Amino acid sequence: MTESVILSMQGMEISFPGVKALDRVDFTLRSGEVHALLGENGAGKSTLIKCLTGVHRMDAGRIMFDGSEISPSSPQEAMKMGISTVYQEINLCPNLTVAENIFIGRQPMKRSQIDWKEMNRRASELMERFNIHIDVTRPLDIFSTAVQQIVSIARAVDIQAKVLILDEPTSSLDENEVDRLFRVMEGLKKEGLGIIFITHFLDQVFRIADRITVLRNGQLVGTFEAGGITKLDLVTRMIGKDMDAIYNLKRPDVAKDAGKMLEADRIGITGGTVGDISLHVKEGELLGFAGLLGSGRTETAQMLFGVTRAGKGSIRKQGKTIRVRHPIDAIGQKIAFCPEDRKRDGIIGDLSVRENIMLVTQGRRGLFRPMSRQEQVQLAEKYVKLLGIMTPDIEKKVGELSGGNQQKVILARWMATDPDVLILDEPTRGIDVGAKAEIQRLMIELCGKGVSVLFISSELDEIIRCANRILIMRDGEKAAEVPGGSTTQHEILSIIAGEGVQGGVA
Amino acid sequence: MSKPARTRNTLLNRLMNPKFIMVYATIVVFLLIYTIGALLYGDKGFTTLRTFLNLFIDNAYVGISAVGMTMVIITGGIDLSVGAVASLTGMFIAYGNTILGIDPFICIAFSILIGVALGLAMGAMIQYLKVPAFIATLTGMFFARGVCALISRESIAINHAAFNELAKWRIKIPDVKPLAYVNFNVLLFIVMILIGAYMLQATRFGRNVYAIGGNEQSASLMGLPVNRTKVLVYGFNGLCSVLAGVAYALYVKSGWNLSLQGAELDVISSAVIGGTLLTGGVGYMFGTLFGVLLKSVIPALITFNGTLLSWWAKIGTGVLLLLFIGIQRIVVSASARKKL
Repeated sequence: MTESVILSMQGMEISFPGVKALDRVDFTLRSGEVHALLGENGAGKSTLIKCLTGVHRMDAGRIMFDGSEISPSSPQEAMKMGISTVYQEINLCPNLTVAENIFIGRQPMKRSQIDWKEMNRRASELMERFNIHIDVTRPLDIFSTAVQQIVSIARAVDIQAKVLILDEPTSSLDENEVDRLFRVMEGLKKEGLGIIFITHFLDQVFRIADRITVLRNGQLVGTFEAGGITKLDLVTRMIGKDMDAIYNLKRPDVAKDAGKMLEADRIGITGGTVGDISLHVKEGELLGFAGLLGSGRTETAQMLFGVTRAGKGSIRKQGKTIRVRHPIDAIGQKIAFCPEDRKRDGIIGDLSVRENIMLVTQGRRGLFRPMSRQEQVQLAEKYVKLLGIMTPDIEKKVGELSGGNQQKVILARWMATDPDVLILDEPTRGIDVGAKAEIQRLMIELCGKGVSVLFISSELDEIIRCANRILIMRDGEKAAEVPGGSTTQHEILSIIAGEGVQGGVA
Repeated sequence: MSKPARTRNTLLNRLMNPKFIMVYATIVVFLLIYTIGALLYGDKGFTTLRTFLNLFIDNAYVGISAVGMTMVIITGGIDLSVGAVASLTGMFIAYGNTILGIDPFICIAFSILIGVALGLAMGAMIQYLKVPAFIATLTGMFFARGVCALISRESIAINHAAFNELAKWRIKIPDVKPLAYVNFNVLLFIVMILIGAYMLQATRFGRNVYAIGGNEQSASLMGLPVNRTKVLVYGFNGLCSVLAGVAYALYVKSGWNLSLQGAELDVISSAVIGGTLLTGGVGYMFGTLFGVLLKSVIPALITFNGTLLSWWAKIGTGVLLLLFIGIQRIVVSASARKKL
């Protein structure tokens, strides 16, 4: 590894009302290295990046880049200097071609006209360099997220970037796509680029990063060589407490005589891809749902909650047949559902924490019995405290909170309705280790109070750790049901893969 | 990903691009209706070149305005002020020349100044004050219409030698009968379409217009001059409205404060029928050209029929709009499905 430092930030400090978001943080990046930036949500990773790219103005500290001090005032300015950022959400234009997305704003010109031929040729070359063989004259939106992600990287590096910031680029990619992205990153590394890599996936950090910097509560915990630290050690440093608390979670105790809380008998979507699902969950039991994306996990949960109507089969709650045709029926039956895409289907970003928490409670009371302001505040404050939601106050817009805290707000919304059955679709996706552990702990606590929890997750180890039983889905059908705890990841994987091993990447 | 899909730059290959599907739909429907007209009224002269060119002559002012409107709609916006601004232009020319005795071409220059300024102001309102385009341009429309009435509430004839000369000026198409010709308005319309198409396809400004319509936030994060581009688009549309007003004044040789009421809706529907997506990001000038033709061939049919009320033209346009917005929805949702 070359020792030339391309970027160094010294004594970075910034305060927001009520919070010291960065407190004397140092960070150095060498050219030709991948430097992972880790920390829980709210640890200050994004804030540090935003200071670097000129979104925020820091209160103190200096940034040295390529030998001189800089203070960019906007991402555009940072980009011009050679610091490019690729965000988790793809910030490209779906209606333009791949080539245009790479070159727009800097198109090659010939006789003061856009030289489309040259632009397409160069775009093609650039994508070939990343081993992506596509027709760059096709609109961007026909390509997969991974390709789009690589197009944004191509755009970023073609601006003669010296530093590339990747802000959670892998969170919506599958295994193959991650591999592809990593190959691109390796290539850029060889060309001498300094890459700052922000992610929640520790495995990926160890695969690609040379050094790791950990932040916690706005402070620097330390910078480590990737080879010189273990995963457990790293996590402990990230959350600042012993990881035993997480790994020693105890599965819910289900009483021997616990009755069946919810049963589904051969339910399926008429004419749909999901059919013949039978399942039950007992009082106080945690039922895990494993399977690939698109295997029918989410669809089953949606049928139970009435998002999609189960055209076939029947659903019983505490022995009585119930009709769940719309979510409102399910809510009436004290069933709660936290959807997979929390940004789209869960939170209402422009409403405050208080308003988001009270939503369903108010909805159940109906239009003519409004909750008083005082009741709302009490409700919100109770859950903010109970769940440890990190927010300056309950009037903050939910959209401005971190992912883990948003998830907790949705959880609070449903807990406030005192549900019997709680369905959680990927509640821990895209949130950090500490928040994950807390969500898992909360689920198990709820089970202790007699709530039945249906827990959908793509991360097998957390399902195995938490669930009493695990239901495995494959191709829209229930493939198997195994007990939690005693099952290994490998066993579940081989069931998911099935006989023919369908390479199902969603 | 399969084998390297090298871009073959043959013309055919480029024309086969699925992004042109809406334009082709417009052309096909136009040809269909034109053929129906030819079959029904071919003997009455529907198929003559003259009838065809009359489509241009009678609708040039709509087409000129549609050039700017197409650009506005591609950014994801809308402009309701175009009819009123065009009408105001007519008032400036008529009142300025007939009542005040100012040269009409100076009046036109003044109109351009006012029209562009009003467009830029509305653009600034939309971009910097975050007023929805619908509201901002509605105020622009009321403003222009109000100024029209302030100037005069009567129809004023324009009687100026050079202006009339320009209105009468025409290029005869040789060796056809009945006599067929194009006039200044038609040329202006075609030139504006070409200028618009050039701006959209060959300049960075034009590509930024598409980028903004595709995803404004992304465009801004990509470092594109979003604010400037959007304000300029409304300014350019102001210019188009004024030129449409000039064309209309040449067409009717008068100015009236209540003229061109509802013309903005004709302009918008021409662009939409021509394949411009109301949600922004998609649209072509040549689509708009055919949108104008398609929208004007219906009244022509009704005229040839002779017994139908002219309101049937409105119903026909309504059906067309419905049809095309329907097709757009299908195309958009089909491409969304394909990605899964």
